[in-house]
Amino acid sequence: MDQSHIRNFSIIAHIDHGKSTLADRILQITGAVSDRDMRAQILDSMDLERERGITIKAQAVRVMYTADDGETYQINLIDTPGHVDFSYEVSRSLAACEGALLVVDASQGIEAQTLANAYLAIEGDLELVPVLNKIDLPAADPDLHARALADLIGDDPENVLRISAKTGQGVKEVLEAIVTRMPPPRGNPDAPTRALVFDSVYDQYRGVVAFVRVMDGYLTGGTKLRAMATASDFDAEEVGVMSPVMTPIARLSAGESGYIVTGLKSLHELRVGDTITVAAAPATEALSGYREAKPMVFCGLFPVDSDDYPGLRDALEKLSLNDASLVWEPETSQALGFGFRCGFLGLLHMDIIRERLEREYDLNLITTTPNVQYEVTTTTGEVVAVRSPVDLPSPNHIEQIEEPYVRCTVLVPQDHVGAVMGLCQDRRGNFVTMTPIENRQQVVYDMPLAEIVLDFYDQLKSRTRGYASLDYEMIEGRVGALVKLDILLAGEPVDALSMIVHRDSAFARGKGLVERLKATIPRQMFEVPVQAAIGGKIIARETVKAKRKDVLAKCYGGDISRKRKLLEKQKDGKKRMKHVGNVEVPQEAFLAVLQLDENSQ
Amino acid sequence: MMRSDPDGVAHLYVHLPFCASRCGYCAFVVEVGREHQRDAYLDALLMELERERAVLGALDTVYLGGGTPSLMGADRLARLLAAIGPLLAPGAEVSMEANPETVDEALLDAIVNGGVTRLSLGVQSSRPHLLGVLDRRATPDDAARAVALARAAGIGALSVDLILAVPGQSPDDLAADLEWIGHATPDHVSWYELEFKEGSAIARGNLAPPDEDMATDLYLAAVDGLEAAGYRWYELANFARPGAECRHSLAYWAASDYLGIGVGAVSTIAPRRWRNAPGIDRYMAALAAGDAPVRTHEELDADTRRRERWMLGTRVDSDLDVAWAGPPDRPAALEMLEAEGLIETGPGTVRLTRRGRLLQNAVVQQLMDFA
Repeated sequence: MDQSHIRNFSIIAHIDHGKSTLADRILQITGAVSDRDMRAQILDSMDLERERGITIKAQAVRVMYTADDGETYQINLIDTPGHVDFSYEVSRSLAACEGALLVVDASQGIEAQTLANAYLAIEGDLELVPVLNKIDLPAADPDLHARALADLIGDDPENVLRISAKTGQGVKEVLEAIVTRMPPPRGNPDAPTRALVFDSVYDQYRGVVAFVRVMDGYLTGGTKLRAMATASDFDAEEVGVMSPVMTPIARLSAGESGYIVTGLKSLHELRVGDTITVAAAPATEALSGYREAKPMVFCGLFPVDSDDYPGLRDALEKLSLNDASLVWEPETSQALGFGFRCGFLGLLHMDIIRERLEREYDLNLITTTPNVQYEVTTTTGEVVAVRSPVDLPSPNHIEQIEEPYVRCTVLVPQDHVGAVMGLCQDRRGNFVTMTPIENRQQVVYDMPLAEIVLDFYDQLKSRTRGYASLDYEMIEGRVGALVKLDILLAGEPVDALSMIVHRDSAFARGKGLVERLKATIPRQMFEVPVQAAIGGKIIARETVKAKRKDVLAKCYGGDISRKRKLLEKQKDGKKRMKHVGNVEVPQEAFLAVLQLDENSQ
Repeated sequence: MMRSDPDGVAHLYVHLPFCASRCGYCAFVVEVGREHQRDAYLDALLMELERERAVLGALDTVYLGGGTPSLMGADRLARLLAAIGPLLAPGAEVSMEANPETVDEALLDAIVNGGVTRLSLGVQSSRPHLLGVLDRRATPDDAARAVALARAAGIGALSVDLILAVPGQSPDDLAADLEWIGHATPDHVSWYELEFKEGSAIARGNLAPPDEDMATDLYLAAVDGLEAAGYRWYELANFARPGAECRHSLAYWAASDYLGIGVGAVSTIAPRRWRNAPGIDRYMAALAAGDAPVRTHEELDADTRRRERWMLGTRVDSDLDVAWAGPPDRPAALEMLEAEGLIETGPGTVRLTRRGRLLQNAVVQQLMDFA
């Protein structure tokens, strides 16, 4: 199709602000999906995503729309992931578009992630169409939020569309705005082919399926293609579009979006952000903006039952097929046995992977304290990357430790600014700016990422009664006074409970942690000292008292089997415990680390 | 070691399931409000005894348990005891359970004449508010009256059952029980910790058991008080004046063979254990038809028997003979447990220390791999 009749756009919206409902409504109005086939929220294809109300992986859907000007347009809706962990993926999706709908809930207003993604879109020169959704809600305040939205993007409040995706009110106007306000693509159809990979999925029957936006040239099925960054060549087994199911077509031309079935066996061979060209007549220069996915958060994953180790490895292999940003390597813990140290884009990514492992692969896992990657300079001048507290060199060999910092943006009603600033200060934050946005404040702090990966988000939500929203981006590594906090059970250090903390908070954290562990570890046959130590020096101690009584009441003839079975059942319960020396430690103890702050403050 | 006694089984348990009401803590096979079936039940019971008597040798002990055996009434008990009498070895122990409020002179005369040598009274508590928690019908006065009647009837040995760690029980309540024992002077005391058994009303209710420290304090107070009064703590929950130990129970803890008859009754004749199904209608119908009662069977392999011997043998205060019980699954644990002061070992023997006895379950778990 002629490029003037093509529009590629994304929807930028906060979780629950109505992105999926609007997308569904657009599919319905354009007739891409019949009412009868309408499965609520077709774009969220994974159950897990549906339950969490978020979209992890972007996809592209093509609809045909006949506008008020009588012309028929090809409209490609390119979905974006909705979480801070996936900001790189968001940026690639936006790079595939000329415009974006900026959708905001008319009762909630702008949230921090919407703001961050809106900035990404502005930086990428996208035409933003502001939309207030849910105007049918009694709590809606469209005038207030229209002003804020217009302010943000330098537009007139009059131009803010007011709709209800739920009832369908105003959705037609949204489609008109896409056609009239957003520019068409302006690629060179005669130049060597360059297509941006903005998403890719692994299908067990078809291999890697890449979602692409053709920038220049064109793609046809049966052609030998090349991914420029990974330098992998493959055959385009099929090209097509989602409308909304996979529909093969002969050709994807400059300006159009669609998919390529590549037959590649792993997502590692075709990364999001890469440029696809034709192997026989390759482009000389790749599209800009590609970068390797870099894990930011690490934790150990160990099977509760050591027999599940091969199963865990298989599951990680399978998940990696469809998730190029998941990295993992074997790890051995004295306390937890064989497992894997895994790297994730962020906390949500970690939660999703862990949940999928447990749910889809039926594994029972222990997760160790999440941590970030530290750059440690040793006294010999060597720089080592430390992804686990266990790998930290001994203090007398450390020259300095550098930790990653993020710029953290919190959007919060005025009433809760104090609480947010208090929390950020507690977590070693450095104040940057505070800017009012209508009835709220945008509070910006530079903070160590390590402080965020613990429970910052939960704390932020609970201290602001859910009103604060958070976004953060990596800025740089900074040197910090960091120490390794060890936990000892019955005098033995437990590697899986070690953590790297700032010297100033070590005492409070150590104290809180031993208190929590004392509460979590059941009484044993012997007294168990629970200690926190830094470099061999004990800084906090609690004691799990010895069990005083553990007898089965009366036992007569009829009772013998019952009593024996009770012992067998208790034995099963013990199997779920981890044996650390002579101490039986329940799984919950390894999570006690995460709840640390509630107790220590 | 695995064979049954060549002279035949020497221990008989007879289950008499009738109760006037179900107690809050009870999850046993009992039948409430079906007294009109007592004759038919007794008929069935005697038929089962007749069917199984070939396995029996001269009986060293017999135990009539329930339920509430005393609810059977004097005549039926006399008929039952008359059938058992010829099977007894000289000097046999014949025990019977009774609830205090169901005991009268006629009943006591009937059972003493029928050969009962030992009466076990279900007193449970001397405190009215705790009897209420336990749904017991007897009052403290009923208990005192029953003790006096039993003594007057010339019963050989008198035992009382008490329960500790009842929700709401204080150390003063326990002291009151000890004082009650001081007056009643039974020969034997069974003092059980209340179990929140699945299926009992108390487990379904919202009463919380005392915490571990409180329950331990009550337990120790019971042990100390009874020892001071001259009772031997001969099994984890049982106390006796010298010579008044329950031989029938000792047979269980020695992992001996026993035959159990009646609805829900369990028998163990190595290497087999079986349990008669619950439900007296079904039980009576099967026997009336000339069949064995419906039963569930369990084969006890050598490892199971060995683990049961450790589980049972460490309950009593005498030495456990390792050659008899078989080796522990984890012999290394013996040294560790001894170092911790939980057991004492001699040449080929193991016994639990006082601290070890309160942790008997944990000690056995350390030594044996159940499951």
